[in-house]
Amino acid sequence: MDPELSDDQRLLLEATESFIKAALPLARVRELIDAGPADAGPADAGPAGTGPAGTGLADGPAYRKQAAELGWFAFLAPEDLGGGGVSGEGLRDAAIFAELRGRSLQPGNFIDTNVVVSALTAHGSAQQREEVLPALVAGEAAAAWAVADPAGDWSGPAGVTATEADGGYRLSGVKDLVTEAQAADWLLVTAAAPGGPAQFLLPASAPGLTVEVMPGLDLTRRLCRVRFDDVLAAPAAAVGEVGAAGPAIAAQLDVACVLSVAETAGAMQYLFDLSLQYSKDRIAFGRPIGSFQALKHQLADTSLAVELSHACATGAAKAVQAGGTSPGGAEAASLAKSFIGDAAVEVAHKSWQIFGGISYTWEHDFHFYLRRLTTDAALYGSPAWHRERVCQLAGV
Amino acid sequence: MNEAPDLEAYRRQARQWLSENLEPRDPGKASRERGGGHDSPAAYLPARALQKKIHQAGYAGIDWPTEYGGQGLTRAHARAFAEEARAYQTPELGHAGGTTFGPVGATLLKHASADFLTRHGPKILAADELFVQLFSEPAAGSDMAGILTRADRDGDDWVITGSKIWTSGAHYADYGMCLARTNWDAPKHRGLTWFAVPLHAPGVIVQPIREITGGAEFCQEFLDGVRVSQHEVIGEVDAGWTVAQTMLLAERGSGREDPVNMPVTQPQTVDPVLLRVAEEAGRRQDPVARQAIAKIHAGQWARGQLGTRIGGLMLAGGKPPAGLASYWKLAEGMRVPERARLLLEIGQGTPLTWEPGAEGGDDVANEYLNSRVWSIAGGSNEMQRNAISEQVLGLPREPSFDRGKPFREVTRDARNWK
Repeated sequence: MDPELSDDQRLLLEATESFIKAALPLARVRELIDAGPADAGPADAGPAGTGPAGTGLADGPAYRKQAAELGWFAFLAPEDLGGGGVSGEGLRDAAIFAELRGRSLQPGNFIDTNVVVSALTAHGSAQQREEVLPALVAGEAAAAWAVADPAGDWSGPAGVTATEADGGYRLSGVKDLVTEAQAADWLLVTAAAPGGPAQFLLPASAPGLTVEVMPGLDLTRRLCRVRFDDVLAAPAAAVGEVGAAGPAIAAQLDVACVLSVAETAGAMQYLFDLSLQYSKDRIAFGRPIGSFQALKHQLADTSLAVELSHACATGAAKAVQAGGTSPGGAEAASLAKSFIGDAAVEVAHKSWQIFGGISYTWEHDFHFYLRRLTTDAALYGSPAWHRERVCQLAGV
Repeated sequence: MNEAPDLEAYRRQARQWLSENLEPRDPGKASRERGGGHDSPAAYLPARALQKKIHQAGYAGIDWPTEYGGQGLTRAHARAFAEEARAYQTPELGHAGGTTFGPVGATLLKHASADFLTRHGPKILAADELFVQLFSEPAAGSDMAGILTRADRDGDDWVITGSKIWTSGAHYADYGMCLARTNWDAPKHRGLTWFAVPLHAPGVIVQPIREITGGAEFCQEFLDGVRVSQHEVIGEVDAGWTVAQTMLLAERGSGREDPVNMPVTQPQTVDPVLLRVAEEAGRRQDPVARQAIAKIHAGQWARGQLGTRIGGLMLAGGKPPAGLASYWKLAEGMRVPERARLLLEIGQGTPLTWEPGAEGGDDVANEYLNSRVWSIAGGSNEMQRNAISEQVLGLPREPSFDRGKPFREVTRDARNWK
């Protein structure tokens, strides 16, 4: 956590910690995972957040409403809807909350909803800002951002094309790795339109739009494939100018990266603390295993990786907050995402060794963190993908 | 002076004197302190003369007691002068200057006797006596208390025999602050004493060390029956470890650098060396080379962020500062070799040879050779890991086989280890 928190930020953090502890602590996350099916078929379209029994990890409308009351979806909204957080620096505050979410592996559309809120705030039409934005901020509706293609290209247009047609645009193609799309009411989809990239805000119920929950490594979140079979997007569905959405997409990716790395840092800290405690409790050869130098040194390296990750997450949040859509902010987001993505997997593996045999039991929390951290590394762009982005931004 | 002068008046007075007596600093001129130790003692005479001038004008040892050659003012006065002096060319006394006015000076003020400081203080402040540290030995690096240099009492004197190593600046300095073992029956930490050893005394040989880079920045010293007066003991006999800890703490403060504050809207400038090496290998567009460039760049950026975070954690006070400093040291000790290896990979074969006499042609090779200096010196990566795991993470200390034993037995047992 950033050592420079204000009193207001601390207060809201405490409230958030209490909320998570009461509503969805790690033990309850485990219950939801265990209650769900081992593999998931296509999600039924249902009222947002309720889902049919068996989608396992729907976080539920009550959870989302309470979270909204704490301001979880308001950070990047216009001021008249509560934007700016407690400090006036909405993104930095959002990152602080993201870290708490990561600590206890909270599911849900926190990142994507905030990304869509920021998109509508910056580029939404009057109608979208009137009809959709308040519902998202109030937690009455959830959103997901369909941006990556199945090959892991997060630049935006890949995977779906938008061709001009009667009544607007026809969207065709496939997007992948869309977080909790099965529980979303609105999907913000980026596509390749004539003239350049475009974004459209579509209801999840749009004809031709199919959300398929994919079985996956991460058990704490549902990642979905979203198919677009000639989905009609009216001109009013466009977010920003069709063909000119490149800068908006980049800015959204920066926001997603800042929130994602913050969640990741929170999860890394929790897992590290767990492994440190284990090394103090576990006895072998007549002493705590943490007294053996090999483990002391592993834990020191892991601790350093966690500190570096916190530092980079804070640095990225500051840079994107201050730098806005500048190349400086974008570069910081990608520097942090690439660094922390690698560090997260490294920390997971080092902790894996510390736990030894118990890490292979379902009942131990280790594998939940392993799965989440490994997925975090790839969501919103893998380390390698972001390193290439850094090269392009820095003029290499 | 009975009362310290008003700080602002002092600052103005200092500013006036500086403008009338010192040359303005030229940022283009390379600092000798970063040099390779090839300078002869004579090369430092102008800097010594300048320091003497500053001392005679009353601007050296500003917060040192007057009995010891100082001005008896406060730290705030010393800071004010230092701030004003930044714009001017101050004496460049190299490594020995750094140790004298840094850790050695601080340690002497805290532990040396009044008699010692009365005699040495004024000469130190006038740069007539520059002190280096005789601490590490060929036989003792990480195990700092395990030194073998011995000092035996002989009448009013002590006779010192042994060897010291990795001393920067010994070839032109005047004194070595030397740690020796004075009691072989006590456990290792409790039989140590510091001495001020004149480097030109009979029995002292100072030899430059030819390093793997071809340079010779460091020296080895051989002490063969060097006679030193009992009045040249620093602190108490056999209580040298306490003094050592003061010294180490004083050194640690100088470790961390604050990150350069780049304007946030611009991307951080990629180190031109990375681009140059990629270009020379024709790999600017090679995705593998670009990954390596971005990795090095990310490591550099992360380092800056870590510095900011550690600064904040130190101010917040929740964790011991020495442990926090270890994070920084370990991070550098891991980042720097990684960078050097990646740089060679980027260049593939091209940095391995260079045109004879080419300016900077051996940059990458030299960087590679130097890359593990900070992984080893100043507290190795392994020692930092011990410090982090014990002082910050609260893990048990290493089991010890020598802590309570008379030192005489320690070396004997070590050689018969099973």
